[in-house]
Amino acid sequence: MNVQLQHIYKNFGAVQANDDVSLSVESGAIHGLLGENGAGKSTLVKILSGFITRDRGEILLNGQPAGIKTPADAIRAGVGMLHQDPLDFPPMTVLDNFVSGRPGGLFINQRAASHEFKALTSQFNFELDVDEQVSNLTVGERQQLEIVRLLALGVQTLILDEPTTGISASQKSALFAALKKLAAQGKSVIFVSHKLDDVAELCHAVTVMRAGHVVGTATIPCPSARLVSMMFGRELAAPSKPQTCRDDVVLQVQHLALSDGRMDVRIDRLDVHCGEVIGLAGLEGSGQRLFLLACAGILRPAAGDVRLHAARNGLSSMAGKPYHDFLKAGVGYLPADRLREGLIWGLTIQDHVALRTPASSAFIDRDSTRQNAELAIQTFNIRGRTDTRAGQLSGGNQQRTQLALLPPALNLVLMEHPTRGLDIESTIWVWQQLIARCQAGTAILFASSDLDEIVQYSDRVIVFSGGKVSAPIDTTSLSAETLGEMIGGKF
Amino acid sequence: MNENSKTTRPPGASALSLRVSRAAYYQLGALLISLLFMALIVIFSGESPLRVVSSLWDGAFGTADQFARVLATLTPLLLCASGLIYTFTAGLYNLGVEGQIVVGAVATTWVLRALQNQVPAPLVIALGIIAGMAGGMLWGLLAGALNVYGKISEIFAGLGLNFVAQGLAIYLIFGPWKRPGVASMSGTEPFDESLWLGRIGQTEASPVALVIALVVLIITIVVMRNTYYGLRLKAVGQNPRAAFILGIPSTRLLLSSFAICGAFAGIAGALQVVALFHRLIPSISSSLGFLALLVVMLISFNALWILPMAFFFSGLNVGSLQLPMALRLESSLAGVIQGTLVLFALLARGLSERAGKIKRSQ
Amino acid sequence: MKSNLIKSMTAFAALGLIISACAGAATPTTAPEPTAAPEATATTAPEATAAEATATTAAEPTAAEPTAATATTAPATGGELKVGLIMVGPYNDKGWSQAHYEAMEYVTQKQPGVTFDYVDKVNAGDRPNVKGSQVADDLIAKGAQVIIFNSDDFKDDALETAKKHPDIPVIHASGDYSWKEGNNFRDQPNLINIMGQMEYGKMIGGCAAAMATETGKIGYLGPLINEETRRLAASVYLGARYCWENYAGKDPKDLQFKVTWIGFWFNIPGVTLDPTKVADDFYNGGYDVVLSGIDTPEAAVQAKKAAEAGKTVKFVHYDYAGGCEVAPDVCLGVPYFNWGSAYLDAMQKAMNGQLTQSFSWNAPDWKNINDPDTSAVGFVQGKALGDNAAKLDEFIKGLGDNTIQLYKGPLNYQDGSVFLKDGEVATPQQIWYLQQLLEGMEGSSSAQ
Repeated sequence: MNVQLQHIYKNFGAVQANDDVSLSVESGAIHGLLGENGAGKSTLVKILSGFITRDRGEILLNGQPAGIKTPADAIRAGVGMLHQDPLDFPPMTVLDNFVSGRPGGLFINQRAASHEFKALTSQFNFELDVDEQVSNLTVGERQQLEIVRLLALGVQTLILDEPTTGISASQKSALFAALKKLAAQGKSVIFVSHKLDDVAELCHAVTVMRAGHVVGTATIPCPSARLVSMMFGRELAAPSKPQTCRDDVVLQVQHLALSDGRMDVRIDRLDVHCGEVIGLAGLEGSGQRLFLLACAGILRPAAGDVRLHAARNGLSSMAGKPYHDFLKAGVGYLPADRLREGLIWGLTIQDHVALRTPASSAFIDRDSTRQNAELAIQTFNIRGRTDTRAGQLSGGNQQRTQLALLPPALNLVLMEHPTRGLDIESTIWVWQQLIARCQAGTAILFASSDLDEIVQYSDRVIVFSGGKVSAPIDTTSLSAETLGEMIGGKF
Repeated sequence: MNENSKTTRPPGASALSLRVSRAAYYQLGALLISLLFMALIVIFSGESPLRVVSSLWDGAFGTADQFARVLATLTPLLLCASGLIYTFTAGLYNLGVEGQIVVGAVATTWVLRALQNQVPAPLVIALGIIAGMAGGMLWGLLAGALNVYGKISEIFAGLGLNFVAQGLAIYLIFGPWKRPGVASMSGTEPFDESLWLGRIGQTEASPVALVIALVVLIITIVVMRNTYYGLRLKAVGQNPRAAFILGIPSTRLLLSSFAICGAFAGIAGALQVVALFHRLIPSISSSLGFLALLVVMLISFNALWILPMAFFFSGLNVGSLQLPMALRLESSLAGVIQGTLVLFALLARGLSERAGKIKRSQ
Repeated sequence: MKSNLIKSMTAFAALGLIISACAGAATPTTAPEPTAAPEATATTAPEATAAEATATTAAEPTAAEPTAATATTAPATGGELKVGLIMVGPYNDKGWSQAHYEAMEYVTQKQPGVTFDYVDKVNAGDRPNVKGSQVADDLIAKGAQVIIFNSDDFKDDALETAKKHPDIPVIHASGDYSWKEGNNFRDQPNLINIMGQMEYGKMIGGCAAAMATETGKIGYLGPLINEETRRLAASVYLGARYCWENYAGKDPKDLQFKVTWIGFWFNIPGVTLDPTKVADDFYNGGYDVVLSGIDTPEAAVQAKKAAEAGKTVKFVHYDYAGGCEVAPDVCLGVPYFNWGSAYLDAMQKAMNGQLTQSFSWNAPDWKNINDPDTSAVGFVQGKALGDNAAKLDEFIKGLGDNTIQLYKGPLNYQDGSVFLKDGEVATPQQIWYLQQLLEGMEGSSSAQ
């Protein structure tokens, strides 16, 4: 089925998730949709599959306008979407899931359904048992089930959102084979991903999105450097960080192995010096967060050791130590998801200040905490009052609040997306504050999807790609091209 | 998606006032609708709503005895509601409060039985209340340990422990602590009058018990408003992950909230024994723990509101006895009224928050 | 948040105002009394016979009092008396509580001027935060001049109420606090105990069961274990053993009699044994006759089901004269209380200010144990009794004229120790405070 999206607009509040996006997919084609997290890919395909309603724009299927408003509309029109986490019903059996979502009578012809199911799975070499509980399936198997279910519903256009995350290599090749078979049958496939390799291997053409816009379309094969430059934009900014490094090591990582069940990260050796800033580059979800969590003492490493510089004793192993000991060793962690991990929605700025203040008595000294909160608000230019709740602050002001809450003397600051949601002036101002800390000897590790930020403020850069970790590179020796290729997985 | 909607929450004070007035409208609307709904129920059961209201009023405040009873019901309600403030603030539904009352009462009875006639009566009473507090605390900690270390939902842990506590009380009443020769649902042998907590005249109101409850309430209000402990509890309750990352010891806080709630419920159980029933009976909690849960849920976990709301519910609870007496109506109608109020209040809160979200995401 | 609070506070204040306003407006309209319907039929006749009848029984420490009462019943005219009746179960429970309720209705018909208010279901399950004494306070506040508590469980409430309201006679049906010769006497001048001698009813039931059983196995569905329930179970057994031996002509050693206590007067899921299951176990275990000692009709219901499934089973109900209705074809009969005469007598005394501390343990009227005006305990014979009805009448007659005395030695307790020596007749106290089940009975004598 030919799919055309024309001039799609969608905004969430002030954020323009899709800004005049057009996309065209021929029947029989596998079309890649590439872009960083938050580029607007997911929004676009969710509009096509009816999970989100568009503000403006048209959807044409085989040239005819399609009034898709709900997922059921989309299915009826022949568009089905496979979500990153398949939308199935884990406590039910495979067969029950297979027949769920079907229009029609109250009664289900189990025999016929089972027959149909087996025919479809054997066609694609999927090995699924009809009586298995879905909760026992792997992510890859659940994807297979979902694909078969959608096909049985008569879907002509199949959308897959980041399908290769968390599935095994053999499942991935089975998936790709199946998708190619579907394309050969004349069905169209939209493949949403931020993995260059996958797109290069599978797709016929690719559209790249950035910040809600389409920035370009290319046919495959296409040099990955070109795709990366489309994904990340213009030439890199010039490094601008003053020299603050010292010789002594504040963090040492040895033979570290991390895992969150979906991804494994290995780092053999890394020394971070006092006053040093290390940028963690890479597409979001490539392992940077796991690494930061491990350094912060929140994620237990599967193997290896994190050693921290504790006062006077030099480096000491933190293996098996609780998070509290990391805090005592002067580690500060700033999570990306401010309202889920960093701040507490219903508490005020003053409350947060009080929480961070070491308590000298059981009672809160309201006057002094208010003064401290006012000072923080002034110093960090937070647009809010002492009694403003964290949830009422704008994203930028939440970030400033998080920064304001970091204890003054730290050995190591770990940050995810430290300036996301901040305007240029604030970004500059924030980094001034951070670099002042570096001058006092603090080391900083930060992950960012803004390559400019990484190049501008880091001494060294480590690139993460699908759990692979590069050796640290001096910022001065980086070029946009090499960085793009490394992010795409070539190192 | 997520980041998007978050960054667009309106900042500043104007949004705050907007939110509040909407919430208030919803609350008021809920109240009116629930009143209307209750009136309909009453009319369908063949009575006039006005007569029901006047009977309830009469039943709660008609005589000194009845008013005293309202105060006697208020006491455990204040204690349990104060305790539940801690667990609710920590984000926990401590349904085990009933069992904590029962174990408190059992512990008190045990001490009274062991020490009566051996130690001066006032000391026996004091030790009994302390024992009740300890017993309730133990039971609360048990629920907490099951929740924190056993990863069992505190709701199920609490309900399970309620059964155990109730079973323990019945076993004791029908077994080791039965009356001479006879075991009966009417409980253990009543204690000597010297072990009764002082009452106002012949009524059931005990000023000492009420004062204890009020002191606990005041402590709770102060802790919640003015201490680091209260603030940390709020942080853990609202966002355990963020609280952890901010360095707050959440396990210890969760356990302590169970312990405090259990201790207060245990005092309530102790007072049921020394101030009201003067013996252990199978239904020693009178289901007031569950009523306290409703009270606390209705006031959005704000300790300042416990007193008026608990008073209102005590009145309703005591007054409802008039329904069968004066109107031949089921007194469980008062339960329906309670339930309706809570349901509509919760519904209003949900709707108001939902409306707020829609507004924010536009 | 703060202004949120203020808003909702005003809302509650408003509600309070509404309530108080309504209360003010509505109070004058609460006057009419729904239960006050005394038919002014001048029926003050049947007193003398009733009193004489109660006085004639063997184990009667109270014989003097009823006769004294008859002397003063005559001038009870013109007075008004409001009674407050507090019942443990529903007023229409087809059992214990309904018997009290109907007795008070009987009193209002027989004695002009008497009205009554009642509160039923005063128990922890139905009304969690309500004590019997509180209900009494409220009934007194509403004008009750006599209070009746109808359950053993109210003994503390009855005493408390009597102490708190020394001018109000408090009747406790089934207690023993006012029994001077009893073990638990409390000298409370306005506390009155009334009880029927259900032991006879149970003996009759036991007799009917023994004559009907084909397997020689009789089951007794007991409530909780206390003195009252022990003596009732023992009475069933004594009646059964007598008739087994004398009418069926069999060896007492071949009679199996088993008591299973469920733990309370009715089923409380999770707390008591399930009486349905206990009854089924009896019927399936070869116990072809089951007697109920509890308030609810599981023994009858399960007997009906077993009979429909082709089993030959029969049952004896308890407490309520209409108890056979559930399954008339397999019903041997039902012993029941009739509180009417005792309550009528008490209210007449109360109207004269003469209802004071007393303990009445009233016997059946042996002339006609089912006479509603005179007999405290009756027995309705069921269809399933068949030809044995005549023998049962003979048994009743024997009980009435004292030719059959069942609480007479030699009798041993369950553990083999001597309860009554050869020829010794039990005192009322020995029966009331029966220490154990009797030898030959299977089942526990006390709760562990």
